[in-house]
Amino acid sequence: MKILPAVACALAALVSAAASAAYPERPIKLIVPWAAGGDTDVIYRTFAPLMQKQLGGTIVVANVGGASGTKGAKEALAAPADGYTIFAVHDSIHATYYTGVADVNYTDFEPICLVSSTPSIVTASPKTSWRDMKALLADAKARPGQITVGATLGSTSHFFPAMVEQATGVKFKYVSYEGTAPRMNALLGGHVDLAESNLTQKGKADAGQLRFLAIATATRNDEIPNVPTLKELGIDVEYAVNRGLLALKGTPADALARLRAACGAAARDPGFAEAMKKQGTLVRYLDHDAYAAFLRKEDGLNKALAKELGLLKR
Amino acid sequence: MFELLGAGLAGMLQLKYLAPLAIGALVGVVGGAIPGITITMTVIVVLPFTFGLEPLQGLAAMIGVYVGGETGGLIASCLLGIPGKPSAVATTFDGFPMARKGEPGRAIWLGIWASIFGGLLGAIVLIAATEPLARFALQFGPWEYFSLFILALSMVAGLVESSLAKGLASGALGCVVTILGNDPVLGRERLTLGIPWLEGGIPFLPVLIGVFAFAQIMSDVEKMGGAASAEQALDRGVSLAVSHARVLWDILSRPFVLLWCSFIGLVIGVLPAIGGSAANMLAWDQAKKFSRHPEKFGTGIPEGIIASESSNNANVAGSLVTIMAFGIPGDAVTAVMLGALTVHGIQSGPLFISQNAQIAYGMFAAYILAHAIVLAILLLGVRWMLRIVVVPRSILFPVVLVLCTVGAYALGNAMASVYVLLVFGVAGYAMVKVGFPLAPFILGVILGDQIEVNLIRALMTNPDPWLFLTRPISGLLLGAAVLSIAAALWQHHRQRRRMAAAGAGDADF
Repeated sequence: MKILPAVACALAALVSAAASAAYPERPIKLIVPWAAGGDTDVIYRTFAPLMQKQLGGTIVVANVGGASGTKGAKEALAAPADGYTIFAVHDSIHATYYTGVADVNYTDFEPICLVSSTPSIVTASPKTSWRDMKALLADAKARPGQITVGATLGSTSHFFPAMVEQATGVKFKYVSYEGTAPRMNALLGGHVDLAESNLTQKGKADAGQLRFLAIATATRNDEIPNVPTLKELGIDVEYAVNRGLLALKGTPADALARLRAACGAAARDPGFAEAMKKQGTLVRYLDHDAYAAFLRKEDGLNKALAKELGLLKR
Repeated sequence: MFELLGAGLAGMLQLKYLAPLAIGALVGVVGGAIPGITITMTVIVVLPFTFGLEPLQGLAAMIGVYVGGETGGLIASCLLGIPGKPSAVATTFDGFPMARKGEPGRAIWLGIWASIFGGLLGAIVLIAATEPLARFALQFGPWEYFSLFILALSMVAGLVESSLAKGLASGALGCVVTILGNDPVLGRERLTLGIPWLEGGIPFLPVLIGVFAFAQIMSDVEKMGGAASAEQALDRGVSLAVSHARVLWDILSRPFVLLWCSFIGLVIGVLPAIGGSAANMLAWDQAKKFSRHPEKFGTGIPEGIIASESSNNANVAGSLVTIMAFGIPGDAVTAVMLGALTVHGIQSGPLFISQNAQIAYGMFAAYILAHAIVLAILLLGVRWMLRIVVVPRSILFPVVLVLCTVGAYALGNAMASVYVLLVFGVAGYAMVKVGFPLAPFILGVILGDQIEVNLIRALMTNPDPWLFLTRPISGLLLGAAVLSIAAALWQHHRQRRRMAAAGAGDADF
């Protein structure tokens, strides 16, 4: 019963512990800035119990969806920096900052650790005639601006095809389909030609309901050995949606250290890797220093991309 | 398909699914039986308790509540003449007179058996039609979805009894609610008035709880005096003994009423967002029209009870078809069910049944078994139901209100939902006071975003607006929307003339 910790959390907040015993002495709120049931939510609902085992305290997942993930970010920022509010972030925070959706930036937070990475796959509708990436590119060159791509505009599923556009010199037409499931429905029905997806859609690709054209990783994936990488096709694009945890700036050092240690131990739990495999996701652990460097690099890339796309607002 | 259903039934018989299903059914029967507690409220109260369960366990519990509620509602209708819920209104027309004529047991069991038959007839269609419909739904592009939603809104607005204008305005208001927050394409803030918790838009479940639980309870509290007299109306010494063979013969010797009214219930259920409250009235009316002795309807004849009760249970099956194939709620109850699916990480829609076959067939199995369980509950416990229908509302209402609030909080473990609940509880109450119907409003809230998104998608894919009319399915749906408004206008016109002729009141529109 998830309602019990929720009630407990509310009560704890009311009582507002005065004495400072060892951290954590009350439940920690993990803000997931997306709706329940989405990829991020599923990953952290698996991760939170593992992390809480390490911490010896409760972690309550709070879904604060809306405004492309920035509503939850703002709610996290409004909380006191006491280590009792942490934030589940993914790459879209860079995109939403540069496209001007919200003023929240990753630099407002303190990295805890990087948790997972979900590689992107160029996915075509079965109603198209393309059997492989080459056919798609040939067609796209013949009909510039006519091939429709379903995407969450200004977010990762928009940036990935945009990178392919950039690397190959073709031009797509974007249609707003927010969320993986609606995009997959549109692909299946042939209402869009192309979209970004990931390994969670493998079942449909096996059934011939979708076509995986190429994966954006350095080497082929064992799950789909027949799908080439973009790199081996001469398209220099690697892309994945990376998810990590952030704490608020000014969080007490001991709390931060506990969170980082727990995050690392949970990410290395073999049970987590097993569960993530079903999600088409790879565990990708980076400690806070490596994660900070990673965030800086991603930020630069996203800024450049937003500029290329004509979406840069700052 | 049959292996899958067999596996679903076998799976559902395990204790871990059977227990939540049975508890759900019991809660549903009780909630349905109590006048003033609608099935929607019961489902809302049960929802947060399912968050910690496996998806199929939670859904089994919700289906149990739904089926149990549809059946339980007839008890108060027959014995007190007060419908236990809106979808049992027509049951009072013949059920209450029959009970007063000294056959309360016959009235109740006619209703129960008709519910079971109607429900199981619905199950056949549910299982046979969901998959083909889901495949058909994949053909729906943004144009078709846009037109379908417009049709749904105009049909619900047209069903409003008092005034078409108020119905349409209410639906439009609902759509306006979805404009607040952010635009669905780039997530830009709009009309947030600088209020932080408005930034993500207004989530529909707390609105639904506010409107359907709070506002409704508040207006019921005003009428609370009436409940006490209901208690006196119930003869404590009433005997419900009845020959089941005779009741079954009563039903099976009228196959036309049973089949036709189950069919009506199903069709109304499949149509988005109309729901059981329309189904039972329409079915009763149809049974009367096709009868050789229409004048006897309303005097306590079996046909009336069979019509109403078979239709409202079949309606559940129809709603489940729509939610599973299209991902669109058939009524307020299925809107909560849709929320439940989302909470459990399942995206309902055209891909649901092929992607989550185990859960989909588990739901079918739960629906079938729920009928058996409800029958068992009533065979064992119908006596106690007499006690339950007269539980004082002064105890009941506060409990339901508290559970609704906790439920809203538990949706996202965030206070914002509770504020939304409060605001819309008050707003919904005000709407009831000025005679604005709530059903089109809530449908507007549910569909507003989808209407906008699909309109934008259609125009982004192809800027030609004529496609809405020239794509055949889309054109047909829009044509049907226009027809439904015209039909409503004609109906209101006729009604007004009749009323004018009778020299009574005015139908304001």
